[in-house]
Amino acid sequence: MVSMTQQPHQQAFNPYTENGGTILAIAGADFTVIAGDTRQSEGYNIQTRYAPKVFKLTDKAVLAVNGFAADGNMFVKKVKQRLEWYRHAHAKDMPIRSIARLIQTMLYARRFFPYYVYNILGGIEEDGTGAVYSFDPVGSYEREACRAAGAAQALVQPFLDNQIYFKNQTPAPGTVFPQHLPLATVLSIVIDSFTGATERHIEVGDGLEMYIVLSNSSPTLQDLQGLRGVEEVTSTNDGERVFIVRRELKKD
Amino acid sequence: METSFALTGKGYVIIAADTTAARSIVKMKVDEDKIKALGPHLLMAYSGEPGDTVQFAEYVERNIRLYQIRNTYSLRPSAAASWVRRSLAESLRSRHPYSVNLLLGGYDTASYDPHLYWIDYLGTISEVPFAAHGYGSYFALSLLDRYHNPEATLEEGLETLKRCIDEVTKRLVVSPGKYKVKVVDKDGVREVEI
Amino acid sequence: MNSLAQRFSNNGPLAQIGKATSLVSEDDDFSDAAWGSEAGFGSVAKGVPTFTVPNVPDPTAFLRLHTDDHADPSCRIKIQHGTTTLAFRFQGGVIVAVDSRATAGSYIASGTVKKVIEINPYLLGTMAGGAADCQYWETYLGMHCRLHELRNKERISVSAASKFLSNLVYSYKGMGLSMGTMICGWDKTGPAIFYVDSDGTRLKGDLFSVGSGSTFAYGVLDQGYRWDLTDAEAQELGRRSIYAAGHRDAFSGNTVNLYHVKEHGWDFIGNYDVNKLHYDGPGDVAGSPGHGYGYDVRTVGLSSANPPAAAASA
Repeated sequence: MVSMTQQPHQQAFNPYTENGGTILAIAGADFTVIAGDTRQSEGYNIQTRYAPKVFKLTDKAVLAVNGFAADGNMFVKKVKQRLEWYRHAHAKDMPIRSIARLIQTMLYARRFFPYYVYNILGGIEEDGTGAVYSFDPVGSYEREACRAAGAAQALVQPFLDNQIYFKNQTPAPGTVFPQHLPLATVLSIVIDSFTGATERHIEVGDGLEMYIVLSNSSPTLQDLQGLRGVEEVTSTNDGERVFIVRRELKKD
Repeated sequence: METSFALTGKGYVIIAADTTAARSIVKMKVDEDKIKALGPHLLMAYSGEPGDTVQFAEYVERNIRLYQIRNTYSLRPSAAASWVRRSLAESLRSRHPYSVNLLLGGYDTASYDPHLYWIDYLGTISEVPFAAHGYGSYFALSLLDRYHNPEATLEEGLETLKRCIDEVTKRLVVSPGKYKVKVVDKDGVREVEI
Repeated sequence: MNSLAQRFSNNGPLAQIGKATSLVSEDDDFSDAAWGSEAGFGSVAKGVPTFTVPNVPDPTAFLRLHTDDHADPSCRIKIQHGTTTLAFRFQGGVIVAVDSRATAGSYIASGTVKKVIEINPYLLGTMAGGAADCQYWETYLGMHCRLHELRNKERISVSAASKFLSNLVYSYKGMGLSMGTMICGWDKTGPAIFYVDSDGTRLKGDLFSVGSGSTFAYGVLDQGYRWDLTDAEAQELGRRSIYAAGHRDAFSGNTVNLYHVKEHGWDFIGNYDVNKLHYDGPGDVAGSPGHGYGYDVRTVGLSSANPPAAAASA
């Protein structure tokens, strides 16, 4: 017989999991590259080899999400909805710095029930410069030149620090390090980051999606011409342009 | 909370330790001397688990004395530090380890220089220009990074020690009231007033 | 039953959020338009401080389970912690100095964090504890300071601004907010500093340091502090104290950000790399000692040996 004093007890409520993968973004002088791998896993099981983590929000803003995939997808959906409302109200796209602040308030509104998502927002600022904003799960954010997040952030970020910020390097006598790198260099750094992370991290691999956001009439456009498999995904034809480049990553 | 400081200067080591002996929330004694003279040119401040501290300090004191009687000369500071550290390390691997933190300061009469060793209950040893144990270290170490001078006169060294004591008195919630200060130099060990 | 009781109780976590929300949005003329117009679209409730809460008996325990990295280093959501910040009042105004490191567990998540929040041209807030909590609520404070100006045709006092923040975070007490901040500025009464934290503590004072490295900063700060410091001396003291914390506390470091609040508002003095400060010092700036701050750099070539003259020559 069940004791009358027995209390009802509840199973611990755990609505979170970790779905692996890595994202990164690098800002150039007049462009930004936002990239993520496409593997989605839980523990040692690969759920799918193609689950995008990088999403175009507007022609000047791309959002990469990493962490818990369900929360990430839901969050992107809600951000897109808010941006659509903005478009209907103001007949223009929201500037990226405003999107950054919007994301902060949306994340912080869940301060007591957080989205388990690390966001990186990349795109073009109103002054035409490349911008990267990175967020923690509850909405603290900062504008940076480059940022890696996710499973392999501890592998990728030091590589970026060295190759983008030239940390722990001394310039050859009489030379200085460039403030901004050209697109071709940035793309090869991104590809190397992901092939490297794929080699050393079990949750990274399968495919790589790189979004490139170019400022209006950027001369960098020429760098894209010869690029294999580049596809334009721009929505309007008088502003910033967005391209996507896909590459295979190892599948083991 | 128990706090001890030590610093080296031109030809000397100053060691200071608070004088409280506490049990639970009670101060049992306010003039306890927690710095032992282990030899003519060697000082040791000890703190940690009540009971262990004095037992271990006396064990060290007698063994260092025995060495001196047998050999007619005493261990140099570096040798004494090694022996003390090894004793703690062996104790740690026994059924009932001593839980004692030490500051060992000495003047080497052969090479004419002062030595200071920071030793903890795990047998970690480090030769340093200045040192602290207890919560006081959180306030004093940054201060000593800023103010310590290896060539300071004794007066200047005591001035720096005074800064440490003042800082801990000012900022530490459970700061000790009084300190005993001893100096070792070429003339031997002595207590000084601050 | 338990959750039902909670829902109707006056002091359960849900009731607390309800109270906090009503407190925050009690002035009617403040709409969500301030946080970005929805222009008639959507159904977002009035004012932004409406928070989603998990539907469990104890939402606070839920949050702690998933975010508290001190209790469980393997928990998923890492909230950034670890900091040294300081501010002090002196004859020439207020000096505010902070480090720039953000850590998540033992990973250095960022070395370029802005821990001084520029609330408006004459008010600064510092950031220790949860980065998002400080950023969000101090931005929110900034909006209310502006509303105060518009309503009263007068700038808000540092005391009133800090009291607003203090009351606000106090209404969330026990819900897991984590912030230790100093609200610094210059008002009719002159330079002022208030320490405000998420426990609800609010203290007026001349000198504060907050964060994991604060004890190390205090060690240098207290010993060098005087009311009649010159501007150059005061700036150097702020810089040197944050360096000390960056050197001794593993959770602090990377760079120092230095601000000086004067009668006309705050000035940003500079950003200094802690590693550069160690080896080379702050460079050609007011109050610079002209050499590196590092102990080993400062004392190179010095010796504590005192051989007698005969032994020295031998």
